[in-house]
Amino acid sequence: MTDIQIPKLAMSMTEGQLTEWLVEDGASVAKNDPIYVIEADKSTQEIEAPVSGTIRILAQAGEIYEVGALVARIE
Amino acid sequence: MVEVLTRNDVDAKTLKEIYTQISRIHATDQAIQSGLQSGRFACTYWPFTGHEAIPACLQALLNNDDFMVTTYRGIHDQVAKGVPLKGLFSEMFGRATGLNKGKGGSPHISDPASGSMLTTGIVGAGAPIANGLALAQKLRGTGRVSIVNFGDGATSIGAVHEAMNLAGAWKLPVLFVVQNNQIGEYTLIPDYTATKQFVDRAPGYGFRGIRADGNDIVDMYQKAREAIDHVRSGEGPVMLEAVVNRLGPHAGFGNTDHLGREGLREAKKLWSVRSSRAFLLDSGVASEAELTAIETAAAEEVEAAIVFALESAPPAVDELYVDIFDDPKHVPSRANWGKKIAHAPAAPTGPTSSMLMVGAVQSAIDLAMGRDKEVILLGEDVGDPPGGLWKTSAGLQNKYGKDRVLPTPIAEQAIIGAGIGSALVGMRPICEIMFSDFTAVCMDQLANHAAKQRYMSGGATHVPMTIRVITANGFGSTGAQHSQTLEAWLLHTPGLKVAYPSTAYDAKGLLTSCIWDDDPCIHMESAPLLFSAQGDVPTEEYAIPLGVADVKRRGKDVTIVTYGREVVDSLAAAELLAGEGIDVEVVDLRTLVPLDYATVFESVRKTGRGIVVHGATEFCGLGSEIAATVNEVLWRELKAPMQRLGALYGPIAFARVLETQQMPAPASIIERVRQLSRA
Repeated sequence: MTDIQIPKLAMSMTEGQLTEWLVEDGASVAKNDPIYVIEADKSTQEIEAPVSGTIRILAQAGEIYEVGALVARIE
Repeated sequence: MVEVLTRNDVDAKTLKEIYTQISRIHATDQAIQSGLQSGRFACTYWPFTGHEAIPACLQALLNNDDFMVTTYRGIHDQVAKGVPLKGLFSEMFGRATGLNKGKGGSPHISDPASGSMLTTGIVGAGAPIANGLALAQKLRGTGRVSIVNFGDGATSIGAVHEAMNLAGAWKLPVLFVVQNNQIGEYTLIPDYTATKQFVDRAPGYGFRGIRADGNDIVDMYQKAREAIDHVRSGEGPVMLEAVVNRLGPHAGFGNTDHLGREGLREAKKLWSVRSSRAFLLDSGVASEAELTAIETAAAEEVEAAIVFALESAPPAVDELYVDIFDDPKHVPSRANWGKKIAHAPAAPTGPTSSMLMVGAVQSAIDLAMGRDKEVILLGEDVGDPPGGLWKTSAGLQNKYGKDRVLPTPIAEQAIIGAGIGSALVGMRPICEIMFSDFTAVCMDQLANHAAKQRYMSGGATHVPMTIRVITANGFGSTGAQHSQTLEAWLLHTPGLKVAYPSTAYDAKGLLTSCIWDDDPCIHMESAPLLFSAQGDVPTEEYAIPLGVADVKRRGKDVTIVTYGREVVDSLAAAELLAGEGIDVEVVDLRTLVPLDYATVFESVRKTGRGIVVHGATEFCGLGSEIAATVNEVLWRELKAPMQRLGALYGPIAFARVLETQQMPAPASIIERVRQLSRA
């Protein structure tokens, strides 16, 4: 099982907004599929699945999370 | 003209080799990024994400003894070339176990064992140096290829144009690899250039340009093979333009912003790390298990290297003065003040000939070239005719041929770069700069490359080149841009030695020392003295060690410390002052770096009164350094503070009446020495 945490996208970043989920809870994802969109420091980025598996979504779209916060798991 | 090639099959073994390199490079990238993000380590990093296939494909075609030059965004090039990963990561983290003892860092990797000769942090500066590597291979007939990597961002800078022009003119066995990620730092094509494809420029320089899709390993490999075969055949240079996307930012970790969300998503689909994997699977060349095994091995290799590096100690502080020069005694430092650097041997007793300094310079070069065929001369107009603008190489091309006396285009960066590159592989090039004023044109090659390479490489490589610089200071009415004597710029740049003779005898001996010295040495030749300084000069080869001053006139009342043209003026002043009862000692420094403070201290201690005289601008000239040092060291023994006399601050005027006012001359020297003797 792999934890999906908010990544540090720049040295100065401490938090980011998870603006959109690109997959549904329970969906089958492949490694490198984009799974959510994050906005931080005026930069919008798609975050990719690091592994293949079934995704369990643990966070809400539109909320702000700290770097390192757990937002999903892939099993 | 874009090359259109038929698509041949590339064999499975080669494809797997390429994928193995891509995996190693990708594992390196991922490990550095995750380390920076997590805080496991900190280092400077310019990501090459998106570029992986370029060196991976090149490596399948290169031998270990082919040469490579790259840039600060070149870790992928290093990994593929075979630079040991433990040494690479240690260097990145500034450890003593680094390839370059932690003294260069990742932007300055030098690992001659794998052929990775030089890495530069100056955009485009590697190209002239790669020419030098290639020139040495051509002259030695080795068949080795020299590759220089740089980005599209480097294609606008002068050094790259100079290098391509020279390579085309001389048909050098060099491959210019333009890693075109379509953005230069933060500025996109077409904002910074009207060129549509960089290969369009190659025919203008007289050689082929081949364009490759850097995301497609088959196309990249085929185009690279065509390019390398051509270069290896000896038919001249090639430009290989590989088009990719830069998926990371200019510096640091993460994704780039410049492509936008959709653009990045599309670029990642093309990305060779992913597309080559899919290709190998889909075509049946490799199985999932094989690919996973390659990736796992790569990740383990990288992790082991990082662990090794993190456990390594930084360099010891006593490394500070090591690798500046071959001999730490030559380093200007407080600890070395007053220490004897070398002893001047007795003058040779064999036959002499009366000659001008110009003849002495010719003789030194002739004897060195006669002794060792790896001594070559490069410069503008050095061939026969005219034998150099200043006649300093007259007859040498007729004697040694066009392969050893090489007239160059008007391109100082290309000249010095060719010298640096050929010196890196053990040749002894003599590069001529026609006027000291043109030092400005090649200052980057001199100051950022020649001067620093030994230190940045932790001694792994060094640059045994000689740069002869003629100065028209005092010649008369040559104008502000052809009258300067710019040794102060060179003295202020750690890593360069400077010799500045005042007599024919000293010129031959000092130039000989410069040629056989293993560090970059500048031999300053005063144009007025080339044609007026006459003396008896031994016809055999002899050397005057660097760092040994010569007392040209013994005296007891005032010391003049001087060099070059002002030695002659100072001696004339001394003769006139003798008639007034002032007995002047004239110390001719002969070498400026390393500087013989021992002789200076001995003289000023004896007389108690000293003045430095030079033709260069007084403000911030060498006189400031010497006066300050003497005043500090000999303070209680002096009768007056040591002074300096140089040219008045200002560009040198064309009209003689102004020019002569600006520069020291016997009259102004006499006036200052009189004052000093009364102080």
